[in-house]
Amino acid sequence: APPPRRPRRTGPAKMSSAEPGRFFCTAGRGLEPFLAREVQARLGATEVDCVSGKVFFRAAVGPGELRKLRSGERLFLLLKKHSPLPVSGSRGKMLHEIKSLVIGEPKYWLDIISAWRKLHGHKGETDDVSQENALALKRKSEETNTASKRQKTEQVRAIASEECQVEAGETCVAPGRKSSQECWTESKTSSELPSKGSGENPTANEKLSFSFRVSCRCSGAIAKILTSQEIGRAIGIMLVKQCGWRADLRDPDLEIFVHLNDIQSVVGIPLFRLPLANREYIKRAGLRSTVAWAMASLAEISAGALVLDPMCGLGTILLEAAKEWPEAYYWGADISDSQLEGADGNIRTAGLMDKIELLKASVKALPLPSEGFDSVISDIPFGKKFKTTNDAQLLPDILQEMERVLRVGGTLVLLLSQELRRRVDGLTKCAGSDSAEASADGDSGAAPAQALSVDGNSSSLTQGGGESVLSRHFGSLVPEGVYAVSLGKTDAFIHKYRKVSAPGTG
Amino acid sequence: KLGRPSELPPEPLPNYEGDEEFLRRLHHVLLEVEVLEGSLQCPDSGRRFPISRGVPNLLLSEDEA
Repeated sequence: APPPRRPRRTGPAKMSSAEPGRFFCTAGRGLEPFLAREVQARLGATEVDCVSGKVFFRAAVGPGELRKLRSGERLFLLLKKHSPLPVSGSRGKMLHEIKSLVIGEPKYWLDIISAWRKLHGHKGETDDVSQENALALKRKSEETNTASKRQKTEQVRAIASEECQVEAGETCVAPGRKSSQECWTESKTSSELPSKGSGENPTANEKLSFSFRVSCRCSGAIAKILTSQEIGRAIGIMLVKQCGWRADLRDPDLEIFVHLNDIQSVVGIPLFRLPLANREYIKRAGLRSTVAWAMASLAEISAGALVLDPMCGLGTILLEAAKEWPEAYYWGADISDSQLEGADGNIRTAGLMDKIELLKASVKALPLPSEGFDSVISDIPFGKKFKTTNDAQLLPDILQEMERVLRVGGTLVLLLSQELRRRVDGLTKCAGSDSAEASADGDSGAAPAQALSVDGNSSSLTQGGGESVLSRHFGSLVPEGVYAVSLGKTDAFIHKYRKVSAPGTG
Repeated sequence: KLGRPSELPPEPLPNYEGDEEFLRRLHHVLLEVEVLEGSLQCPDSGRRFPISRGVPNLLLSEDEA
């Protein structure tokens, strides 16, 4: 076999430049356009291809840079992306097709392994590299997972929700990965054990102990003939036979991800153990960090800007914003002591104490000057979190204060539930059709994107049009985009507005 | 008022921009001191708003709003 190729690198730092690679990143439904923009802006990615739940791209950056992606869920090295597998009635034939897709030549997988090892910055020549790599990954997951059980629960929920939201169809992981919960718990336990094998003879153990796990998801026509479990198991058995690896369901060295649906067949290797959505700088997560980041990205935060979240809760939006746009000043307000305490803890953990200021204050009566802020960004708590049943009545008061503290030209970005949004629309219809200035093209940066939806129903993109209750009652807030996003179990809508002039003037 | 001698004059002196020592002390008070427990006082009404664990409580009671 030919020796593995050496990537051209200037030194041990796995930073800015690397060989171009093909990757894909999963995304929560609705966040794909944000992710597509982000990989281009942050990584200089090319060949960007968006499908439901995934963004494919090519980039010449190392894992350090890739890890910085903020709107994606899990990042994979792309191995294969083909058109959907032909579906025949014969299970045997289909399994054969799948195996040739995934496995191909045995040498192929050896090359993949060395390329993957190099991507993780190892020398690649020593025999105990894989062991080192496994340990490094374990150490890394320990470091990034210093938080409490709550964080762990978040991860588990994250994985579960990620897997739920991509397709309607089978999402079970095979073989025998019983439940996400168990799997990650066990993974954590094993990472806490002292690293064995360093004293023993690694070389001999190493060659036998390279371990893998196959995670398979299939949906659509294929799922009618074969289950994810069957496919995963078949692939696993084949790999054991052909490559001599060991299947390890709990803490494998390598995970192989296979996703088969009516659109395409994809094979990849996850780059990192933990989802990108897990932030090492967030101790207690509130709103999903990817959605929080997406909201902040719509607000057009520039250097010196003043940004307010008047219902900040645990401060997730402010944390994401302050990390990404550190040359601005952030204020958070909430009426709940326990939430503020959590936010304070998060801010200290993230080291952002001089960037984010907290107030105990009510959004209905903000102790803040009019037109003092460049942006107001908020996740309006809905459903059971509101003690009163008068959500609809509260909404105009809340919006009034938000509008007041916003300067002309400032942005308002809100996360609304389906119900709140319906109320806004309902109020709109009663209010009649006052026309507001339809400035559909207010922002210089991101263009409002059509929200993607798995079922193909496009969610409404309200641009200008002046039918919003806000333009009617407050005279100055003009809608600039609506983005449907999935929060796991529920859907929500990011609404962006711009304040064009103070009511009663101009 | 910080409750300890802050070494700041009650009013800024003329030409304070050039006074290095004053600026340093001012910078310290404004940017390096975090009030953990204390209060903010409204200059108009005199109403005090308590600060607890670094977070000021600016909620008004029903009759105040």
